[in-house]
Amino acid sequence: MSYKIAVASSDGKQIDESFGSAKRFIIYEVVDGKYNFLEERIFQQEKSGKDTESSTEKCATSGSCEIEGSCNNQTAGCGSGAGEGTAKVELISDCRCIVCQKIGFRIQKQLERKAISAFDVSVPVEEALAKIAYYFERMDNHESLRAKRI
Amino acid sequence: MAKLLDKQRYKCALGAMQTVQAITRAIPVLHSGPGCAQKLSDSTGSSGYFSPNIFPCTSINEKDVVFGGTKKLETTIENALKVIDADLYVVLTGCIPEIVGDDTGEVVSRFEDADKPVIYASTAGFKGNNYIGHEQVIDAIIDQYLEKSEEKEKGLVNIWADVPYQDLFWLGNIRELEKLLAEIGLTPNTIFGYNRGIDQINKIPKAEFNLLVSPWVSVGNMKKMEKKLGLPWLHLPTLPIGAFETSKFLREVGKFAGVNEEKVESVINEHENYYYYLIERYADLFLENRVINKQFSVVADAQYALGITKFLANDLGLVPAKQFIVDDTPKQYREAITEEFKKLNFNLQADVIFETDSYKIHEQIKEHDYHGYPLILGSYYEKELTESLKGNYLNIAWPVQDKVVLDDFYAGYTGGIRLIEDIYTVAVQRFN
Repeated sequence: MSYKIAVASSDGKQIDESFGSAKRFIIYEVVDGKYNFLEERIFQQEKSGKDTESSTEKCATSGSCEIEGSCNNQTAGCGSGAGEGTAKVELISDCRCIVCQKIGFRIQKQLERKAISAFDVSVPVEEALAKIAYYFERMDNHESLRAKRI
Repeated sequence: MAKLLDKQRYKCALGAMQTVQAITRAIPVLHSGPGCAQKLSDSTGSSGYFSPNIFPCTSINEKDVVFGGTKKLETTIENALKVIDADLYVVLTGCIPEIVGDDTGEVVSRFEDADKPVIYASTAGFKGNNYIGHEQVIDAIIDQYLEKSEEKEKGLVNIWADVPYQDLFWLGNIRELEKLLAEIGLTPNTIFGYNRGIDQINKIPKAEFNLLVSPWVSVGNMKKMEKKLGLPWLHLPTLPIGAFETSKFLREVGKFAGVNEEKVESVINEHENYYYYLIERYADLFLENRVINKQFSVVADAQYALGITKFLANDLGLVPAKQFIVDDTPKQYREAITEEFKKLNFNLQADVIFETDSYKIHEQIKEHDYHGYPLILGSYYEKELTESLKGNYLNIAWPVQDKVVLDDFYAGYTGGIRLIEDIYTVAVQRFN
């Protein structure tokens, strides 16, 4: 059995980024309890969802149209509390869990809906991967965790 | 075949949070998942200055299972010390942190220099039920808080009885035992209930001896105190209910404490005179009321199964049918308890069965010939059964939904009278 773990780390060594500020996620694949680097997924700042004329106009006057646009024009945007988050959740929707330094409550709820676990910890990436792989392996094989923690 | 998990008659070891709650101004700090306290807090009489809804809790989740929850525990204790004004903080661990291996003892040891005492007890559910959890909490107080005292207070006796809240009558019972000891000139010391807290705990090592009134709960605690604090102990397995056992109780305590025999006898005499005055006056009720038939069964923990069986056989002259002990008594105590059931007056002996499976208990009650209406004293689970057998039923053991008890009690002479009142109230209601 294999699954993927998403990691928010700026240098690939330490879990040091919050879910919201992470610009990319490092994806590891775990096969039979062993984890390997799979890929890196860059988060593309969303182009203002619906390219309406008004936003194009706005672009001409404002240099930061993309950021503003993503907030103002999306119907399911910041106003409803999802927005950028939703797209980020989509980016890792095939992962079993996400490891990051901090994560907001709303995003956690969205992840929960997709049965993705969130671990907010500040530890080395290696340690996190080892512990999570151990945990899921035990869970999947219906084995007790009652053993010395690694 | 898979076993059905139903009709539990006790809680998990974390239920010992109620033992902590019974000590005035002591607060449990729970290292457990969210909801544990909620599930365990169904007993009545648990609101007040500290109630289960405000017990500090680490509310550990999946992250703490994977990465450990000790950091969260440390901040929870730290903040509990800041915002909750208590005299004693007792950290209780649930199943999860113990399974994954959090070193609670180590975290708690960081608070050695705190202004208030912080101790911990390992109360994971898989270690046993709340009777065991209760022992763990007292063990924690002995191990981590109490120190041996050279100074002794003459006549001071620590009284230990059954589990607060699990035992519906815990408060009234222990007060009545205190009263009895005081009457023969001793100074009782207990740590549970109103006006009993850290000061009483501090007095424990100064006592002359420990008095344990329970078939098995806290036997381990007594041994521990004997070893660490040098406290001798007197073990009286039977909760004294009614005149016969209570007089015996006073004589044994008096003898052990070296109280003047005359003094003890005069106290006994006074109580017995009043007790039998009442019994005499109502003798017609007892004789004429055929509703109370000859045989009875108690379905309760060891304390009440033994105490009530002795009372009904010795004082009321009823014949015991099978008695059921449902507290999952540890195996090493069972033989001694079984022997106690053979020491009844009139050469009577009672069959006692250690069983936690309600189905099996109910089947045996149904099969037994009670020579008339059965009298069943048990938990709420026995109500429907007794009704189907047209018997008389009294709710005396957890879970209790049929009775409200604030500080009523069955211990002592007065307690025996209370129990008679309760049983005959049920009996007369049948026809009225």
